[in-house]
Amino acid sequence: MKNKIIENVTIIYHTYKNIKNMYEYNTDDTQFLVERVDQFEKQLKRYLDGDLDDAKFKSLRLRNGLYMELHAHMLRVAIPYGVMNSRQLRALADVADKYDRGFGHFTTRQNIQFNWIEVAEIANLLRELSSVGLHAIQTSGKAIRNITADPLSGLTEGEIADARPYCELIRRWFNLHPEFSWLPGKFKIAVNGAKLDETALRIHDLGLRLLRNDKGELGFSVYVGGGLGAVAVIGAETASFVPVEDILSYLESVMRVYNLKGRRDNIKRLRIKFLVKELGAAEFSRLVDEDWKHTKYDPELKLNLNHLVQLEKDFALPVKPLEISGFEEPVDFNYSIWRKNNVRAHKLSGYSIVNVSLTKLGSSPGDVTSKQMRILADLAGQYSSSYLRTTKRQSIVFPHVRKDQVFDLWQSLEEFSLASPHQGTLAQIVACPGNDYCELAKAASIPIATRVQQRFDDMDKVLDIGDLNINISGCENSCAHHHIADIGLLGMKKNNVEFYQVTVAGETLDETVIGKKLGRSISGDEVVDAIENIVNVYLENRDEEERFKEVFKRIGLKPFKERVYG
Amino acid sequence: MVEDIEMISVVNSKNESVQLVTVEKWLESIDSLSSIGAGVIVKPTDDVELLKDSLDKIAIIALDFNNFDDGRGYSHANLLSKRWKYQGEIIGVNAHIDQLQFMLRSGVTSYKLLDDYENIDDIDYSNGFSICYQAAANNSGLKEKF
Repeated sequence: MKNKIIENVTIIYHTYKNIKNMYEYNTDDTQFLVERVDQFEKQLKRYLDGDLDDAKFKSLRLRNGLYMELHAHMLRVAIPYGVMNSRQLRALADVADKYDRGFGHFTTRQNIQFNWIEVAEIANLLRELSSVGLHAIQTSGKAIRNITADPLSGLTEGEIADARPYCELIRRWFNLHPEFSWLPGKFKIAVNGAKLDETALRIHDLGLRLLRNDKGELGFSVYVGGGLGAVAVIGAETASFVPVEDILSYLESVMRVYNLKGRRDNIKRLRIKFLVKELGAAEFSRLVDEDWKHTKYDPELKLNLNHLVQLEKDFALPVKPLEISGFEEPVDFNYSIWRKNNVRAHKLSGYSIVNVSLTKLGSSPGDVTSKQMRILADLAGQYSSSYLRTTKRQSIVFPHVRKDQVFDLWQSLEEFSLASPHQGTLAQIVACPGNDYCELAKAASIPIATRVQQRFDDMDKVLDIGDLNINISGCENSCAHHHIADIGLLGMKKNNVEFYQVTVAGETLDETVIGKKLGRSISGDEVVDAIENIVNVYLENRDEEERFKEVFKRIGLKPFKERVYG
Repeated sequence: MVEDIEMISVVNSKNESVQLVTVEKWLESIDSLSSIGAGVIVKPTDDVELLKDSLDKIAIIALDFNNFDDGRGYSHANLLSKRWKYQGEIIGVNAHIDQLQFMLRSGVTSYKLLDDYENIDDIDYSNGFSICYQAAANNSGLKEKF
């Protein structure tokens, strides 16, 4: 066994060294991944031999991203901070073909899931992934999950700092942490360094916002106890400024208070939001500060600033500013429509950020075929320095496209039906699988999304409406984040008929707001009419470029309510 | 789980049998229990902070890891060993092999496995990984086993 491990490391190391211009796992990281797979393989064998019971194995396999259902097993693989390169995406395509049915599913939290995994093959699958620096560690279970960052980290103007080096340092620290690996419930962390909050950090168990204090020093404000689900809560600020070098000790104190005092007796109240609510945010913060007092000055817990500097170099952009002279955008109607909704300014001159949505009418958002993965990997190699990113809206971003090559990229995307001008409009609906695919769901999601898309089939009107978020969750687990959408639908069942509770004007970008309930729930038959009515009230009241949330703030709930319930 | 205090005992690293009492019993009669060299068994639900002021009188502290998913014992081990510098032996009882690496790196100094693991080589599991990502309360790993 030992020899085998060493052989693997050697092979992995050499192939790994070939990646250029990207944060790479070093030999230690890779060795760790290999040992983790070996350990899991032993545990799996004991389980299959009957030497490890279901409950304990469940706890162990979830910490390796493996869900086991009666007929199909799902593996959740982390895409750290949403960043991947072409080689990694090709490796994911190979896994989809070899171990799944040629599909993968990008989630809202920078993971990819494979739904048809054979348990006997899991170790080999994980070994293949580890050879490109990917893994499934802590993507599930009552542990600190993969940390999410703004998918455009490092790319946009006005950023306080690129969040990814901090995410990576925090991930390392809480990777198989001896004290905090058996928590009361799952624990999700998001870190944002940009002006707008694409991460929705205040609906996470813990959210960190990078900021500078009066002296210009970098630190974090910390928000604890946010979450969606049946009880939507906005995280409370427990610290307004934690210096960067003290963040690990502060996070440990939060985790310790949660680990010791979090509810373990009621399966519906395991998350930290319930502890914060029961204690009150002030008392919770006091307990954290009380604990922190003992560790704040512990040199072992100070962030290693040398590592940070190294990571900043590793995460630096692979491109330099470019002067492109004499270039004009080609005149093409479809291109200009697509461009308006899918191309954003890059902070470096000469480059653009390009969004590619995988959402198709009637399909599950985020689903991607192995063929599409390879196309995207190739196109990223050709147009975006071999980089890609995944987003909360389950789309793919090409982060570094030369401005004079955006048109060529668009033509290639068109060729592969990946450039629908619907992208970035209300037709790009976020929906969970719903009761067509998920046992937990109470109502349909994707069929409603399809009907909305069919209702808004007039392209001029869709473009006029602009970017308006519609999110549809099939049950209170709120996988589609309906609480924070412009228009959110929550599916439920009354006397065996599907109904939807409608919420409006939720958001996270400028501030975090949970959507307001419009009124009584609406039957599946009438819900698309209701959405159209809401959109019409918005259009009738909109001043120029005003966004939905701005109109809502100005006119309030009443006009929407009156139109829908008449 | 043993309820009757008369029945609880554990073998320490010197191969001596030590009587264990619950946190509650310990606090009721610290001096007399200390004089007979008693140890304390701490369950996940116990408030370990209650022991803080009498730590130097406790012969051995046993942390109960029977409940696989209840991670409070790891914080107890950290507080006892690192924050309050408990000098005695911290034994993890009713331990699971898959969690040894977490226990030993949190500050547990020795362990007694549940009977379920009789036929499994625990050395293989207690050694954990060749690297770790954090300065743990106790990196010395396993030296003694029973």
